[in-house]
Amino acid sequence: MSQESTASLEITSMGVDNRKLGVWVWLGSEAVFFSALIIVYIVMRNNSVSGPFPRGTLNVSLTAINTFILICSSLTMVTALSAIQSGSQRGLWRWLVVTMALGLAFLTGQAIEFTSLAHQGLSLSSNLFGGTFFTLTGFHGAHVLIGVIWIGFVVARALRGGYTQSNHLMVELAGLYWHFVDLVWIIIFTIVYLI
Amino acid sequence: MSDDTKIETKKSSRRTYLVVFGALALLTALEVTVTHLPIPRIPVLIPLALIKASLVALFYMHLRFDRKVFSLVFVMGLLMGVGLILSLIALFAPSLLDIR
Repeated sequence: MSQESTASLEITSMGVDNRKLGVWVWLGSEAVFFSALIIVYIVMRNNSVSGPFPRGTLNVSLTAINTFILICSSLTMVTALSAIQSGSQRGLWRWLVVTMALGLAFLTGQAIEFTSLAHQGLSLSSNLFGGTFFTLTGFHGAHVLIGVIWIGFVVARALRGGYTQSNHLMVELAGLYWHFVDLVWIIIFTIVYLI
Repeated sequence: MSDDTKIETKKSSRRTYLVVFGALALLTALEVTVTHLPIPRIPVLIPLALIKASLVALFYMHLRFDRKVFSLVFVMGLLMGVGLILSLIALFAPSLLDIR
């Protein structure tokens, strides 16, 4: 559970920190954003006039490993938050660095898959499947990259002792974003690769 | 809260995070396994994905323990997104709603 010092707390009329409330509202809007990309993919992916087509093209095994990597990164992210909630600055930045590494591993897996798909003739402009697939997974990958960069800034401040047991809201907010990116991937993996 | 209570709370939190992680990993393996079985995928995989997403939202994003206003605003966005998906499926791919 988050702990914020009264000195840094910006209380809204609802009694919660307005930065945290703002992040949750933003994540709600991101849910609508990704829903739009997902539904366009669902409707269009089997309407291509010519291939490549989804079946036999997508690598489920590699992406399953990638999904596991992202799930691991969520665990390390929440462990980092738990560390600073216990007052451990070393635990905070170490687990954040591991989270960044896992995020980069996920992006590497995506790059490998995208390259493989390109060799099979699938691209943004190849057909409806390619266009919707790369738009959806590309935007998600961009969100992961932004998350890695964001966590990098958090690590930089953590190394300077910028977070304490009573003041670490920014760590929690970065964590919320990161978990949301993982949550979206859970949905994308199921709809794009498994169904 | 006493120091012992705080330590126990933190240990149970970390234990909870590990249990959730195990559940997520198992459910992911189960999902991949389902794709190799001769059973309808949508009615099995969608609920599994929603369970996984709920675990992340409730425990890793702390919605279960935090102020309800955060759940309210997030669920509002989710509902708009789900409504968007269902309405466009009904308009452009109604056969997907037939999951028999």
